[in-house]
Amino acid sequence: MKDFAGRPVPRAINWNRVQDDKDLEIWNRLTVNFWLPEKVPLSNDIQSWSQLTGDEQRLTIRVFTGLTLLDTIQNTVGAPALMPDAVTPHEEAVLTNIAFMEAVHARSYSSIFSTLCSTPEVDEAFRWSEENPHLQQKARLILDEYDAASQPLKKKVASVFLESFLFYSGFYLPMHWSSRARLTNTADLIRLIIRDEAVHGYYIGYKFQRGLERLSEAERQEIKDFAFALIFDLYAIECRYTETLYDPLGLTEDVKAFLHYNANKALQNLGFENLFPDELCRVNPAILAALSPNADENHDFFSGSGSSYVIGKAVATEDEDWDF
Amino acid sequence: MEDAILDRDLSDAAPAQAVPAEWQGLDYHALNAMLNLYDDAGRIRFEADRMAARQYFLSHVNQNTVFFHSLEEKLRYLVEEGYYEADVLEQYDPAFIPRIWDAAYRVKFRFPTFLGAFKYYTSYTLKTRDGKRYLERFEDRVVMVALTLARGDEALALRLMQEILAGRFQPATPTFLNAGKAQRGELISCFLLRIEDNMESIGRAINSALQLSKRGGGVALMLTNIREHGAAIKGIENQSSGVIPVMKLLEDSFSYANQLGARQGAGAVYLNAHHPDILRFLDTKRENADEKIRIKTLSLGVVIPDITFELAKRNEEMYLFSPHDVEKVYGTPFSEISVTERYREMVDNPKIRKRKINARAFFQTLAEIQFESGYPYLMFEDTVNRANPVAGRITMSNLCSEILQVNEASAFNDDLSYRHLGTDISCNLGSLNIAKAMDGGDLGATVETAVRALNAVSEMSAINSVPSIRRGNDESHAIGLGQMNLHGFLARERIHYGSPEGIDFTNIYFATVLYHCLRASNALARERGHSFAGFEASTYADGSFFGKYVTRDWLPATETVADLFARFGIAVPTRADWAALRDAVMDGGLYNRNLQAVPPTGSISYINNATSSIHPITAKIEIRKEGKIGRVYYPAAYMTNENLEYYRDAYEIGPEAIIDTYAAATQHVDQGLSLTLFFKDTASTRDINRAQIHAWKAGIKTIYYIRLRQMALEGTEVQGCVSCAL
Repeated sequence: MKDFAGRPVPRAINWNRVQDDKDLEIWNRLTVNFWLPEKVPLSNDIQSWSQLTGDEQRLTIRVFTGLTLLDTIQNTVGAPALMPDAVTPHEEAVLTNIAFMEAVHARSYSSIFSTLCSTPEVDEAFRWSEENPHLQQKARLILDEYDAASQPLKKKVASVFLESFLFYSGFYLPMHWSSRARLTNTADLIRLIIRDEAVHGYYIGYKFQRGLERLSEAERQEIKDFAFALIFDLYAIECRYTETLYDPLGLTEDVKAFLHYNANKALQNLGFENLFPDELCRVNPAILAALSPNADENHDFFSGSGSSYVIGKAVATEDEDWDF
Repeated sequence: MEDAILDRDLSDAAPAQAVPAEWQGLDYHALNAMLNLYDDAGRIRFEADRMAARQYFLSHVNQNTVFFHSLEEKLRYLVEEGYYEADVLEQYDPAFIPRIWDAAYRVKFRFPTFLGAFKYYTSYTLKTRDGKRYLERFEDRVVMVALTLARGDEALALRLMQEILAGRFQPATPTFLNAGKAQRGELISCFLLRIEDNMESIGRAINSALQLSKRGGGVALMLTNIREHGAAIKGIENQSSGVIPVMKLLEDSFSYANQLGARQGAGAVYLNAHHPDILRFLDTKRENADEKIRIKTLSLGVVIPDITFELAKRNEEMYLFSPHDVEKVYGTPFSEISVTERYREMVDNPKIRKRKINARAFFQTLAEIQFESGYPYLMFEDTVNRANPVAGRITMSNLCSEILQVNEASAFNDDLSYRHLGTDISCNLGSLNIAKAMDGGDLGATVETAVRALNAVSEMSAINSVPSIRRGNDESHAIGLGQMNLHGFLARERIHYGSPEGIDFTNIYFATVLYHCLRASNALARERGHSFAGFEASTYADGSFFGKYVTRDWLPATETVADLFARFGIAVPTRADWAALRDAVMDGGLYNRNLQAVPPTGSISYINNATSSIHPITAKIEIRKEGKIGRVYYPAAYMTNENLEYYRDAYEIGPEAIIDTYAAATQHVDQGLSLTLFFKDTASTRDINRAQIHAWKAGIKTIYYIRLRQMALEGTEVQGCVSCAL
C-alpha cells in the first residue's frame, strides 16, 4: 500500500462554512449574471453594420479580435494561474466561474463576427492580431507575469490591469458606436461583458489587497513599485495601440482620456492612488454614461433585449400568499 | 406668416442659460449624457440637457433643413415631388392653408428636452429621399396630421392642431409619423389575429403578419386553438409539432418585414395557460434554451382564467386540455370555452386528452421566466370578460397588452379564400397628456377632439390585405384613447404617486374621461345615423353599463383632489349628468365599440415631454435605448433639483402602489392598460407571484412586462452617475 502521509487530505468545498463573505457575494453576483451570446439579437445590427464604411468595419473587427485575444488569455492562462494562490476553496470556485465566463466572452466576439462579417474579413483580422506588435507586446507582458514562478500578488496585479485597464481601449469603440445609434445590439452584448469584467477586476483587486495586508512594509513597497512600473509599460503600449487604431477616425484623444480614467480605476481596485489627474480623465460623457453596468435602461420590443435581465431566485409560494 | 418660415433664428429649443466653460466644445450627445452625471454639488445638470437640445438645432437641424422662401413654395414643392398627399390639402379652401400654418407657428413651440427633439427629427419628421435633409419642422408635421384627420372640416382641423401643438393630445406613432405623407405606412398602431387549428389558418396568419408588419405597427396572434405537440393529425397519433414551430415561423416573418425601414416588425403570441404546450411555450425564453426552440424577439403572453388561481390556492394540480379534442367535443374552438366554467366538466370527459402540472409550480415557472426575460405578459381572462360591455368573448390581447376586444373565427377554403369571413382586431391609439389636459381647463373638449381624431383614423383605414381586420374595423370603429404624464402631473402638484390623493385623482380623472368619451361617441353616432355593429346586444344599449355611475357618486374623496379639479376648472360629472348620458346613449347609440386603452407610450411621451403612460418613472434620468437613436438620457417631466422627492422611481414605489393606481383607472376603461411591474434584484419569484395575485384580486386586466433592476456591485459603479445612485 502506498504511503499517503504528508499529502494534504482532499477536502470537499463547504459553502456553509465561508471564511470570506466576499467569496459568496461575488459567487452569487456572477451566477445571477450568467448569460450566453445567443441571448442578444445581434442580427438586428446587420443593417446598421452595412452602413459603416469599409474602414470603420475593419477597425471594428480588429478591435474585437484584440479583445478576443485578451479574453482568451484570461480564460486559458489568467484565471487558472490565480487558482493555486487561492486562500479559500470558495475563491477557487469563483475563479473557475471567472475562467468560464472569459471563455463565453471570447466566444461572443465570434458570434458577432459570424453574424455581421464575411469569413475572409475575419481571417484577415485574426492574422492582423497575430502580427500587430502592440497587441502582441501587451499580451506578452501579461503572460510573463502569469508565469507560475511569479509572485502570487504580481499575478493578481497583471490580472487586474488586464480586466480593468487593457480591455477598455477596445470597449471604447462599441460604446462610441452605440452612442451614435450604430450597432446597438452589439453594444448590449459588450455591456454584458463590461458588467462581468467590472466584477472580475474588483474581486481580484480585493483579493490582492487582502494579500498585501499580510506582507511587510518593504515587501508592500516592492509590489507597489512593480505595479506602477507595469502600468507605465502597459500605458505606453496602449497609447501606441490606440493611435494606430483610432487616428483615422480622429478619436485618439478621447480614447486616451478613457485610458487614463480606467488606469485609475484599475489602480483603485488594487487599493492604490490615482496615476492620472482628473483633468486628463475627462472622458466624453456619452461614453462614460454608456458604461454604467446597471440594468436600468428602458427599452421596448422594437429594440434589443437590453442588458437588464438576471437569473432569479426561485422561492415557492406559501398558503398565506394565496389568501383570497 | 412668411416671417415665421423665414425666421432663421428659430431654434425650436428652449434657450439655455449661461454655461460652465468646460462645456464649450462638447457635442450634443456629450451634453445630453451629462444629465446622467451629477455636478460637484450633487445636483442634476438639467441645463446641460437644455443646452444639448439647443446645440442639436444649431449644429445639426438648422443646417440640414431644406430652405423655402414661402409656405406656398414649400407646399408646391412637397406635393409636386410626391412627398405630401395633394388630396389632403385640396380638401380645404386655399385661403385656409396659410391661416392654419400661421396659427401653428405663432404658438412658438419649443422642445424642452434633447431626447424630444432628437426623437422627433430622427424618427418622425419628413426627410428628403436620401434621408439626409429635413423637410418639416414640428409645426409642419402637426398641421399635416390635423389637416389629414379633419378631412376638410376647418374648425376641427384648427382644434386638432391646437390640441396637438399644446401637447394635450398626441396621436400614436403610426398616425403622427404617416399622416399627410404620400409614401407612408398605415395610420393604425396595432393588430390582433386569431389562428385556428388548421394549416390554412396558420398559412393565412403568417401572410397577414408579413402584410401588417410591412404596413406598420405590431401584430399579436392567438395560438390557443392550435393542437398541441404530439396530438393526432387525421386520427394518427403523435403527428402534430405543436405551437413552437409556428412561433419560429412568425418570429422570422417579423424580422423580415419592416415598415420602409422606419420600424422593425414586432409581434406577440398569446397562449392559454391550460394549453398542453404551455411549459414548452415558456421555455422558449429560457436563458439556456436550445437555439432550435429559442425565441428572441417575439413577445409572449399567457391567458390565465380564474380557475388557475383557485387551483393554486388549494395547491392542486391543473389540467391542460388538448384544443383539438375540446373543439371536437364542444364544436367550438378552445378559445371560445371558458376554462373556469367548464373545468370540472372537461376534467371528467374521457374524450378530452389531458395532462396535469402543479398549479403553484406553474406560477413559479412564470415568475422564473419573467425574471430572465421580462416575459410573458399576462391576461386575466375572466376579469377581462366580466368587464366587457359588448357581446362576444375576449380571448387575447396585443403587443402592449392594452387592447381587449372581441373577435370571431374565420374559415378558409383550400385556396386560402374565405369560406367564412370572421373579424379580427385593429386599434388606433392616441394619448392625452394629463398635465396639459388639466392645464387646458376644458377636458370635455380635449377628449372630444381626441375621439374625433381617433375615429377619423378608423374611418380612413381599410386594411385590404387582411379582410378580417377590415371587416372588424368597419363594423366596430374601435378606438383606444390613452393617457400619459400621470406621474409628472402628480409630482408637479406635489402629490406622491400611489398616495391616497394620487389614487383619488386617478379614479376621478378616468371617470371624467370615460364620461366625455361616451358623450363624444354618442354625438358621432347621432351624426352618422348609426351605431357600431352589435350595439343592441351591449350593456350600453340596455343601460346596465351605467349602473355603477348612477347609483353612487364618482367625486373626489380627498380635499386636495377636489381643490385640484376646482383650481383647473374641470367639472366632474355628477350622478345626474351620468343619468342623462345613459338616456342619450340608450337613445342615440355609440359609434365606437371600444373607446379607451392605455398604451405604454414610449416614443410619443418623449416628444410630448411626458412621463410614460400612467406608470411611475423608471429612473429620475431615464436611459433610453432604441435601435434608431442609440443611448440617450431623458429627464422626468417637470423635475427640478427642488422637487426630487416626488420623483421616487417605480422600483422604490414598488408593485403594490402601482397596482392600486392602475386598479383605480381600470374600473373606468373598457379595454386594458399596459401595466409593468418593477422589482429590485433582491426580489424572488415569490415576490413576483404575490404581486400577480394582488393584481388579479384588485381587478387588474393585464400585466405587461416584469422589469428588474440590478444595481452595480459596490466598488464597480461609474462615479457620480445619476442612474447608479439609489
